[in-house]
Formats: sequence, C-alpha cells, structure tokens
Amino acid sequence: MGPERVQLEEVLASLANPSLRYADIRYTATHQQHVKVRNGEVDHLSSTVDRAVGVRVLMGNGWGFAATSDLSEESIRRVARRALEVAAASNIASTQQVTLSEIEPHVASSHSEYRIDPWSVSIERKLDHLMQATEPMRGDPRIHQVSGEISCYRQEKRFASSIGSFIEQTTTQMGGGIEAVAIDGAEFQRRTYPNPFGGDFQAAGWEFIEGLQMPVKALQIRDEALALLAAPKAPAGRFDLIVGSAQLALQVHESCGHPAELDRAMGLEISLAGGSFLQPPMLGTFRYGSPLVNIVADATIPGSIGSFAFDDDGVPAQRFHLVENGIFVDYLTGRDTAPVLGRTSNGTVRAETAARIPIIRMTNINLEPGETPLADIIADTKRGILVETNKSWSIDDLRLNFQFGCEVAWEIENGRVGRMLRNPLYTGNTPDFWRSCDAVGDRASWQIWGLPNCGKGDPMQTMRVAHGAPAARFRNVEMG
Amino acid sequence: MRSEAESFDILGRALAAAKADEADACFVSVDQNISRFANSQLHQNMSEEEASLTLRVILDGAMGVATTTGFDDEEIARTADVAREAARHSKAVPGFQGLYRDHEPVPEVDSFDEATAALAPLAKAQALRTMFDRGAAAGVEFAGAYATGASSIACGNTHGIRRYARMTYADATAIAIGQAGSGFATRRERAAAAVDVPALGDEATLKATLASGRTEDLEPGAYDVILEPPALGEVFDWMNMIAFTGQSYEDGSSFFVGNLGRRMLGENFTLVDDAVRYLPFPFDMEGLPKRAVPIVERGVLRTPVLDKAWADRLGLAPTAHAWHLGSPEHGSAFHLTMDGGDSTREAMIASTKLGIWVTRFNYVNGLLEPRTALMTGTTRDGTFLIRDGKVAARLPNLRWTQSMVEAFSNIESLSRERRSIGTWYNMFGGTLAPVVKIRGWNITGKQEKSEG
Repeated sequence: MGPERVQLEEVLASLANPSLRYADIRYTATHQQHVKVRNGEVDHLSSTVDRAVGVRVLMGNGWGFAATSDLSEESIRRVARRALEVAAASNIASTQQVTLSEIEPHVASSHSEYRIDPWSVSIERKLDHLMQATEPMRGDPRIHQVSGEISCYRQEKRFASSIGSFIEQTTTQMGGGIEAVAIDGAEFQRRTYPNPFGGDFQAAGWEFIEGLQMPVKALQIRDEALALLAAPKAPAGRFDLIVGSAQLALQVHESCGHPAELDRAMGLEISLAGGSFLQPPMLGTFRYGSPLVNIVADATIPGSIGSFAFDDDGVPAQRFHLVENGIFVDYLTGRDTAPVLGRTSNGTVRAETAARIPIIRMTNINLEPGETPLADIIADTKRGILVETNKSWSIDDLRLNFQFGCEVAWEIENGRVGRMLRNPLYTGNTPDFWRSCDAVGDRASWQIWGLPNCGKGDPMQTMRVAHGAPAARFRNVEMG
Repeated sequence: MRSEAESFDILGRALAAAKADEADACFVSVDQNISRFANSQLHQNMSEEEASLTLRVILDGAMGVATTTGFDDEEIARTADVAREAARHSKAVPGFQGLYRDHEPVPEVDSFDEATAALAPLAKAQALRTMFDRGAAAGVEFAGAYATGASSIACGNTHGIRRYARMTYADATAIAIGQAGSGFATRRERAAAAVDVPALGDEATLKATLASGRTEDLEPGAYDVILEPPALGEVFDWMNMIAFTGQSYEDGSSFFVGNLGRRMLGENFTLVDDAVRYLPFPFDMEGLPKRAVPIVERGVLRTPVLDKAWADRLGLAPTAHAWHLGSPEHGSAFHLTMDGGDSTREAMIASTKLGIWVTRFNYVNGLLEPRTALMTGTTRDGTFLIRDGKVAARLPNLRWTQSMVEAFSNIESLSRERRSIGTWYNMFGGTLAPVVKIRGWNITGKQEKSEG
C-alpha cells in the first residue's frame, strides 16, 4: 500500500517551475499499538495507522510544503501543486538567501533489526505480561494505583528527491514500563520502572520487553513508592549531587541536545520553546563543561530509537562530537542550515511523519562514559545527594536556567548511601552545572534511554530520540 | 474538509463494520496552513489536508479503539477487526451505562467562517510582510506563527446519534525582538478577520521596547505579580492535565479528589469550560451536547471534566468532554474561560508598590507535587519590575516555583478585559483569561547569561 517509487518520481517530475531549486516527496505509514493495564483492568487498548504523503519544494528563497492523508494520485498531485503555491507565498515574506549544502544522491533500503515482531505477539500475551508485572504490587491499602503499558511502533518511509535519491527505511520499536502510585493523606508519590512516561524504548521487538524484566522489578517499585510516603523531604541548600543515568539522560536532552540544534540557535524556534545560549561564535572555544564532559551525537547506534540510515534531507546518518573534552565543537545541522557555519549537513533533519516539515531533531545524544565506577563515586562523596528517575523538568528560553524534580533521592554521608528522601528538586545554570562535573561513571553505569516524546515545531512534532548516559557527580548544586 | 454527506457515509460504513454490541465513531478532516517566521523571514510554510477515522467498539461493556487514515471498505473492515480484537481482550468499565443515546439537541453556535476557510497562503504572507516592515521601522525583528484552518468534525454511534459541524480557527503569535529585549502578543479566534497580525506585531513591539535602557535584578522571594492572559494560559494547560481530567481525578493525583463542593481557592476565582460562548463548538466526540460547565465557582471545586465512561464509573454527571474516543485522559477542558473582574492592567500597575509584571511563561511543568498543583517555570518576552506604581525597569527572565492552589487563593484583582489564547494541543478551543494580580508569588531564580 502507498505510492511506489515510480509514482513518487513522476510527481517530482511534474513540478515544472523555472524557480524550482529543489524538491522532495515522502510517504510514511506509521503503525502504533498501545496496551495499558491499571489496577487489574485493561485500561487502554488502541491501534492506529497513519498514512501520509508530503511534498517539499524550494523556489527562489521560499520553502513550500504540503501534505495529505489521501493517497489517491489526484490528491498527491494536488498537494504537489499546493506546495508550489505555498512556496510562492513564502517568497513574499522571505528575502534571505537559502543555501543547501552539497549531497550525493543515494539509492538505498534499510530496516531496523528485531528478533520477535511486536505485532506477532498476541494482545493476550502482552496483557498477561503486564498483569504479571503489576498485580504483585497491589494489596497495601496505600497503593492507590498500579499500572503498566507496552507500546509498539513501526514506520515505513519512502523518500525521493530531485537530486535523484530514492531511500526506503523501516523502523520497528517497542517500549514498556510500570508504575506504582502511593497515597497517604495529602502525600502522593509515584515510582516508575524503568522510566516514567511509558517506560524505556528501543528499536527492537518483543525480546526488549522481556529483557526489561518488569515482573521481577515490580515489588521494588512498590516498596519504594510506599517508603517515599514516609521519607523526609529532600533538603534545600547546596550539595554535591550524583545524578543517575536515566535522569542525566534527560539533563543531556534539555541542556545540551536542544541548545545544540542549529535552527534553535539561529532563532528559528524562538516562537515555541525559545532559542539557545550556544551561539556560532562560541564554536571551538566555549567551555560548556569540565574536561570530563564528552557529548556525542550518534545516529548510527544499532537498536536505539534515535538511529536511522538517512535523515529526511537524504543525508547519511553520522556520529560526531557536540562537546569534546568540555568544549562546544558542533551543532546538529541540516542542508539549509549547515552552510551558515560554512559546514555541510551532519544529517539530523527529520519529520514525525510525511505530513510534517522536516526540521533538525536530536538523534542519539550521548554523554560518553568515563572511567569511574558508580560505587567509587559514591564512596568518594562526603556529603551529597543521589537522585534518580525524572519527575518534572523545566528550562528557560535560552536553555540556561533549569529545574528538575526526581522521583527519589538518597542521602550520601561519608561515602555511604543513607536515608531515602522524597520530592528532590535541583536547579542551576547549564554551563555552570556541566563545568562542576568532576566524576563521570564508567561503562557499567552507562545506559541508552529511548525517549519517544520529544516535542518541537509547529504543528508540534513528537520525535523519537535517545540518550546514553552514565551516572555522574556535580559539585555544589543548589537543591530545593 | 469533508461534507456532511461524505462524513456520514464514512461513519455509517464504520459503524456497520463494527459488528458489536455498541459502537461509536468520529471522523475528523482538517485543512490547515501554518506560516512560521523568525528573524522577520517566513522560513516554514506548510499546508495540510488530513483526515482520520476513529472507531470504538463495545463488547460486553469492554472497549477497543482503532484509528486509520484510510476509508475504503477494506481498510474500514480491517480497522473494525483491530478494534474488536482489542475489546475482546479488554474488561468492562465498572459502572459503564453504555454509549450516549439521549438525542438531545445541540446548541446552535457559529463555529465556521467562510473567509477564514478560503484564506490563501499569499494573503497571510502579505499580512506578515506588513508586520515585518513595521518592525524594521521600529528596530525589531519578529518570530512567531500565523495559523489558519478549516475542519469538519462528525461523530455518531449505533444508537442513531449523528453529529456534524464545520469549524475554522485563526491563531497568531508574534514575538518582537529588539536591542532592549523581547515582547509578545497572541490571539486565537474563529475568524481570521478578528486576528489583526500587524496589530499584534505593534503590541509585541511596545513590550520589546518598553523601559528600554533600564534593567534591574531581583533577588528570590515572594512578590506581587501581574500576570497577562498568555501566562495564565500556560498554567491552565497544566491545570487541565493534572487537576481537571477524569483520569487525574480517578487516579487520585488531582487536588479535586475529596474536595468537590469545598472552597479551596479564592472567592474571586471562577473557571468555566464554555464551548457554547467561547470559540464555540456544539458537541463532544461522543455526541453529547456542549454546555457551560463550571469547574471552579467562586473558589468552590465543582467537577472534573469527563467522558461518558468515566462519568459513569465515578458516579458523576457527564460533562461532554470526550475529545478523542478512548482517550487516556477521559476528559479534557478545551474551552476554559476565567471570569474577569472590574480592574485594568494599568490600575494593577498603579496599585503595586513592589512587584513584577509578567507577559508570559516558558516551559511550565506541573508534575512537581500535583496535589497542591505545585508548578515551576520561567518568565519570558517581557518581564518588568513595578516600583511605586510605575514600570521601573526590565527584569531578566525569572524562575518561579509556586502552588496554584495557593496562588488562586491570593488573587487581588482581575481585569474586565479578557484575551483568547490558543494552545498547541487543542484545535477546538483555547483559554479566555483576564489579567490578574496575585499576591506572594514565589520567585526562585533567574536566567544568567554565561561568559565564555
């Protein structure tokens, strides 16, 4: 189903306009299934198929894009004409020169790997798995709610461009997680595994869900939710802070990944979540973090949901440093932004579906592991706090001032893990925070976390990205 | 956008394919154009024609939902198979009394504007060009978006309910950026004629150039704040998620739990979801007629907003807030209207000895402690120090951490004038809010620019 190569190329060929500089056409079929259980009931069971075709053209210095969910030939040709009309309108209010970085045409086909097809596993088995993971958490009257969910995602994409590329890609992904909610009077606590907001996600099949071992982890999650009800509130003040892998992954997302998007730095996203403190003159000289901080964008990691073979400009996936030994060295770029830096695209332009404009998106943005085992970091901390699992996140419109809340914290006293603490909040200024990093966990504490809900663009596009991070320590961080 | 006949044909075929005890379906078709601009350049310009069908089947009280963008008989049959399979594995919703079947009339509202539906991208680009030129003369550049759309929405069920309506919207945001700082203005309406884009640019420019050359700092602490409607809109987006939905009420995270009928907020705080009078729309996706639903009335918590299944489950009156069939929120308030008062923004400034005037918030998060609606966020695009009743200086963007239960108990005054603000997740409505002055808002930090 969906338009084949010949049809896509015929539509491109039909775009006859003397001002046309570039055109591409994409088709996507996006399949999703979501299963959720709650308190012994099936809470949500849904299935979605979304098919779309989008045409993007550059005429003069004006971009035009038009899309449709109607896959008839007549509709696709109408949308192509509409893209030209929209580009002509853009030229009314767009005078800046648009330069596209050079690219070779590619003809390729790729798909992500999985062992057990998510759609080959029956709904019954998925529900059974979730029930096994959540039912043991029930029983204590303070446990108000237990829930678990599994998500399946597959996107098939065809891309053809006026420079002669034709690329087919399919990604198959799964995600899952559980949570326990404990309430005692006015106190409300939520504990999740392995991550909140749907759990963790990988480009994989059912084997990933089994590997999460949610039924094995359930009682620990329940016990921690209950313990949080009576735990003392995390203190306010300045502490040495050890941030666990999952929370640090979100810190990388908000305070490095987003500000390193070149379109954001150029002001193109200001109207939504703002701009970036990382400006082009800082490239190669700005001390973003301590020399221990190495942050890499890597769209080539097998099995991660931020990976792909080609971006939606038709540029091959790449691996490169954003921050090297603490110095800011590169942005995430696309074909129409990289020339601003005198560089070529590093292949990070993607759209949620063919119905959306491709824009710069994170891939897998990873804090590289260091050499210190987490146990040694803890043992080396005299007075500190260890935080794990994100609960809330907020950052200002230049990605400088941030505040994160976590599900749980523990006191560190004289190198030992002490009492559990509830409702920890920490806040700071992005470069000050990363410059205070004096210990980065080794490969054993490093994990890649799939984040399927990164929002950007207008209309809002929800992108699937990922972040690898170890645990790390930051000195003298403000809490509370 | 599809006609009533075409929409009902698709609904009819979907309901026939359901082969279930009960079924309902909605068919939504959207034609929209969004023009995004930055640095006074129109850099993204997109048009979209999108349509989707959602089918929900009920088997022995259990629900299954499937959505597709294909509408031929084969695809509809496949979608129905998927929905039935989901329902077979599901369990009955406790207390569910079945799908809506009362056939009440829906309110007669004017939700469609022909001129907006016909507005061409060229005309929008020309309006933006006018704004950019005025900005250049004033020394500012603009960023923002100008979106217009026309939709047809149809829903129906196996009890003979059939609803159809057409809807338009126009939404513009303008951020003016100059040497002194930035300013912001926004508006959402049903008709594009009511959204004067160059005028919004002028309003944003005024904020960007106000108190030019005068900047001060502010230590953390509790301050009186004057919040403009866009700031309240951001807060209400989160209130909607953490406090008003059927799901947040049922799972115990909402501060409404155990407090219905109690005065938890100030007597001058009234919040009504009103799709009859504000950005009107006649029915929800389950076919229930829309009506004005008081959520908070003079500080008294009245009801969460619910789809029918969750209303039945919770033993509460239905409120007609199903915007997606099978939505995990089980109700969302898309037409929030906050009552105004008898003040003006200027009077609030004049009455403030030391305080902060806030244009809008950035990146609010309401998940800190939902039972007190403790939220955090920062200010942006125009934050001003008020001293001795006058605008004294521009302030850096400030971080705040504040319980909304506390804040909405401390409202000192409200403006008579209200502004309609759009939200990114909601094409149906928005938020209509006044300017408010609130005592004792907790400022906890600020944006500090880093040196290399």
